[in-house]
Amino acid sequence: MSLVSFEHVAKRYPGGVHALNDVNFSLERGEMAFLTGHSGAGKSTLLRLIALLERPSRGQVLFDGRNVTRLSRRQVPMLRRRVGVIFQDHKLLTDRKVFDNVALPLLIAGLPWSEIKRRVRAALDQVGLLAKETMQVPGLSGGEQQRVGIARAIVAKPSLLLADEPTGNLDPELSAELMQLFCTLNELGTTILIATHDIEQIRQLNRRRLELKAGQIVRDQSTMHTNGDDQYEILPSGPASHE
Amino acid sequence: MSKERSRTGLRSGSRAWLRRHAYSFFSSIGALVRQPVVSMMTISVLAIALSLPLGLYTALDNVRELSRNWERLDSISVFLEPSQAEQDARRLASLLSTWPQVLSADPISPGMGMNELAGQTGLDANTIEPGWLAELSAEANPLPWTLEVSPLDDIDVAALAEQIRQQAGVDLVIVDLAWLQRLDALIQVFARLVELLGVLFGAAVLFVIANNIRADIQSRQEEIEVMALVGASTAYIRRPFLYSGLWMGLAGATLAWALLIGGLQLLQGPMQSLAVTYGSAASLSAPPPVLTLSMILGSGLLGILGAALAVNRQLARIKS
Repeated sequence: MSLVSFEHVAKRYPGGVHALNDVNFSLERGEMAFLTGHSGAGKSTLLRLIALLERPSRGQVLFDGRNVTRLSRRQVPMLRRRVGVIFQDHKLLTDRKVFDNVALPLLIAGLPWSEIKRRVRAALDQVGLLAKETMQVPGLSGGEQQRVGIARAIVAKPSLLLADEPTGNLDPELSAELMQLFCTLNELGTTILIATHDIEQIRQLNRRRLELKAGQIVRDQSTMHTNGDDQYEILPSGPASHE
Repeated sequence: MSKERSRTGLRSGSRAWLRRHAYSFFSSIGALVRQPVVSMMTISVLAIALSLPLGLYTALDNVRELSRNWERLDSISVFLEPSQAEQDARRLASLLSTWPQVLSADPISPGMGMNELAGQTGLDANTIEPGWLAELSAEANPLPWTLEVSPLDDIDVAALAEQIRQQAGVDLVIVDLAWLQRLDALIQVFARLVELLGVLFGAAVLFVIANNIRADIQSRQEEIEVMALVGASTAYIRRPFLYSGLWMGLAGATLAWALLIGGLQLLQGPMQSLAVTYGSAASLSAPPPVLTLSMILGSGLLGILGAALAVNRQLARIKS
């Protein structure tokens, strides 16, 4: 069973804007994929639908075999605890220490304090910020703040990690480092979907790539055949038939 | 096996619930302490609002207590004819005290009457010419022998007075009922007023706390969104605010009580001097502990209610 699958998903905003239009794809367990496309192509909307930050206007979003669009408001928090989300603008609590920011999902889950300490330190160690756990967020650089966001997203060991332009504001060197971190997390078993417009970078990583254009998936280049642009699988622009 | 597992699951679930509660508990205290000035101002407003009805209640309580001391005024003064001597007065007193409506009947000599009168009017041996009063008492005391009759509770005092008036040697029977009834009625009016003020200021507590929590939620909107993003349930987000409301209510009422006690301390001195001039030892009493405690707890409950009001409205707005 796929971890995530979209079946004929459409999202229309008030005012008639079609953010997504009949999107079909699925993400297997342990997979790491990139979601590309120009800004406004619907990348963020697609990620937000998975984490139920928004609900689709049509179609089904399945997570772990369950139709998330049918989840009641009370069930939404449980889903969000299984999905780690990394935002471009970090969404950190600026009046708290690094440690407290990362600990937030575990406090919400009600873990014992000793377990929280252990897991937060492990997550901070993974992103290379263990030495800064007592610092306040505003004292960190942009890259460091992004890594705090990543630590917070992975600390509860989610089955799925979503990242929305995680390298958007970083210089190339830091971006490469972050991507390497994602690859490591993926090798440890986390399923990852990253929205980015940095095509140069993902070309080197040799992973599956989904391209959105005007709310539709126009390319789904899997890892099987990635020897160059020539082998991109061009999907028909009508309803996508990707399994 | 599966039963065992579900039981441990349940236990760890309830432990997680407890931990989440403990976290909300401490984080709500932390939020109050992080903004000491704002918290203190709110608590002071609550305390002042609550101290008014509480203070009025205490004043009323003390007046009631005082009026109980004045109950001897409820007694019937029986003035005998000037011709009546001591043994006549004593005979009539012992007769009256056998009546079923009468609690006690005490004879008061003209000399005692003069002293009491002097005390109540502020005339005494020190303020007027020395010897004058003594002289007056001994020789030309205009006061007759008097009986002070205390009726039993719940009897028809007017009828009793009429019965006494029929006795031989009785000159005048005075019952000042109107004065006491007026005082009683006045106390009733004030008691109602205190109740009314209690309700109004209780509502004030509710709305002050609701408004405070609303402002708090607005300033922490970002934090609430982040918490929801990482999987916090609505109940989890709401809980620290409810605790904040509780703390503010409890602290406000406790401070109101402290203000009242301080006020009573300040009034104790002047009250004492006032009492001395009336020849009695009056002291102000604080409200009973049961009332104080229920006011503090009630204020805490109002705090939770106010917070719930604000949180439900604000969270609904944030979600939509």
